[in-house]
Amino acid sequence: MKISAALPLGVAALLFESARRRREVEGRLVALFERAGYAEAILPILDYLEPYEALLTTASRSELYRFIDRDGEQLALRADFTPMLARLLAPRLSALELPLRLFYRGDVIRYEEERAGRQRELFQVGAELLGIPDESAEREILLLFLEALTREDGCGLQVVLGFAGALDHLLLEAATDDPRGDSLSLAAAVARRERGPVRRACPRLSAVVESGLPDRPEDLGPVAADGLRRLLALRDELAAAFPAVRLTIDLAEFARHGLDPRLTPAAGDRSYYDGVVFRAFAGVAALPVGGGGRYDSLFRRLGAEVPAVGFSLSVERLMDAAARKGAA
Amino acid sequence: MIRLALPKGRNLDVALAAFRAAGLLTGLDLGSRSLRVQLPGEGIEVLSLKDWDLPLYVEHGVADFGIVGSDVLAEVDGDLLVPVRLREGRSRMSLIGRAALPPAGSQVRLATKYPNTARRVLAGRPWGAEIVELSGSIELAPLLDLAELALDIVQTGRTLAENHLVEIETVAEVAACLVVNRASFQRHRALLNEWIGRLEAAEVVE
Repeated sequence: MKISAALPLGVAALLFESARRRREVEGRLVALFERAGYAEAILPILDYLEPYEALLTTASRSELYRFIDRDGEQLALRADFTPMLARLLAPRLSALELPLRLFYRGDVIRYEEERAGRQRELFQVGAELLGIPDESAEREILLLFLEALTREDGCGLQVVLGFAGALDHLLLEAATDDPRGDSLSLAAAVARRERGPVRRACPRLSAVVESGLPDRPEDLGPVAADGLRRLLALRDELAAAFPAVRLTIDLAEFARHGLDPRLTPAAGDRSYYDGVVFRAFAGVAALPVGGGGRYDSLFRRLGAEVPAVGFSLSVERLMDAAARKGAA
Repeated sequence: MIRLALPKGRNLDVALAAFRAAGLLTGLDLGSRSLRVQLPGEGIEVLSLKDWDLPLYVEHGVADFGIVGSDVLAEVDGDLLVPVRLREGRSRMSLIGRAALPPAGSQVRLATKYPNTARRVLAGRPWGAEIVELSGSIELAPLLDLAELALDIVQTGRTLAENHLVEIETVAEVAACLVVNRASFQRHRALLNEWIGRLEAAEVVE
């Protein structure tokens, strides 16, 4: 009998050279995290579904591989490290010494439509910093993120920064008859950079759609204006440390990351980032190689009060970007 | 270098006219059968793609930006930026049939080449429904009783009138859209903003 070597869609076997290269990259990243004082957390690939029910968005729910265990429990394959780590740490936090620096590595399994040609199994590495409420946490995590990225792919890196709630004031102000519906559809238009609808609904958002920034920080309202000034200062500081990386602030890219409850489409239908958010693109790849941000509210929803910032990187996408650049 | 994807279908002339009105792509000659054309001196490569493939090329970043109909865009639902829509070449996505909409409680077959859009249109309607996916000549379906309704693009309505069909309900306005890859927008922001600005100044987009 002939045995087929075919694999299910969206997964890959790494043999020989590709396996060696993957482990090499992984090894360098792990060494970097360890030198920076981060300790490894090894997490299971399989977990109960129930603890995550309240945290899932419509999109992340549709990506989950869920099934019923033989004893009737609902299980899910790991699709994201951060919520898993958060739910395991939340009850133990009072006994732990803060700040806490952790890193992880492993696969996440996400259902992706065939059409998109994306992998369903992704190897990620990431780091989380818990217990630092001020900006030194964002600075430390972003420096580590940039260090990890530039080690593997020195040029062609583009890191986009923003923060959750940056456009809340403008989005809510622009709403007329139906505050929730109007603001949400405007947020979607900003995220897709649709100039016409945005200009008609809120002229002050036009600059954000075109350049990523408002004409004047004050346009965002007092709270967000202050946030933007601090982010600009952080960006300048990071840019000085990593001159080869293009660091831009783009509030439209993260327009859907609202903080006001009125900007939440439905219960749980919101990303867990609630402070600075960032995303990195490498080479000519269309998908981000990594990203992260502050997510204090994720712990709050799990019943723990602890400030948290983190990032994850897709090792395959990083290697792919580096290889495509080498070939070009 | 930046790559622009142009559609092969009915939106090609509309797109070229809009770009030329804005003083862009003036040196472009798509007359030959080549699938990719370099614009000398401008660092631009133009790809010629089928409407249905175009969003995928842009989503994967193979093309940085392109022009595609909102009918196709709504169907493939990729994560693309849509800064502007062209003013010319508008049409409608409509429900088509021999008479009025079927009464509540009916079992309805709907013929279309837009199954995802059809699913959204059917959601919340008071019918039991089936979608009959076709790849062309959608009007024939209600005419020959393959389906009670059709969901398709209507431009002038002449074909419908000639076949004694009625545009029962307009579901959406259809426009050719400028779409941009999310990562490309970050990478080529200055050039893309300049192009979009010129299209806006020429009043060929909104």
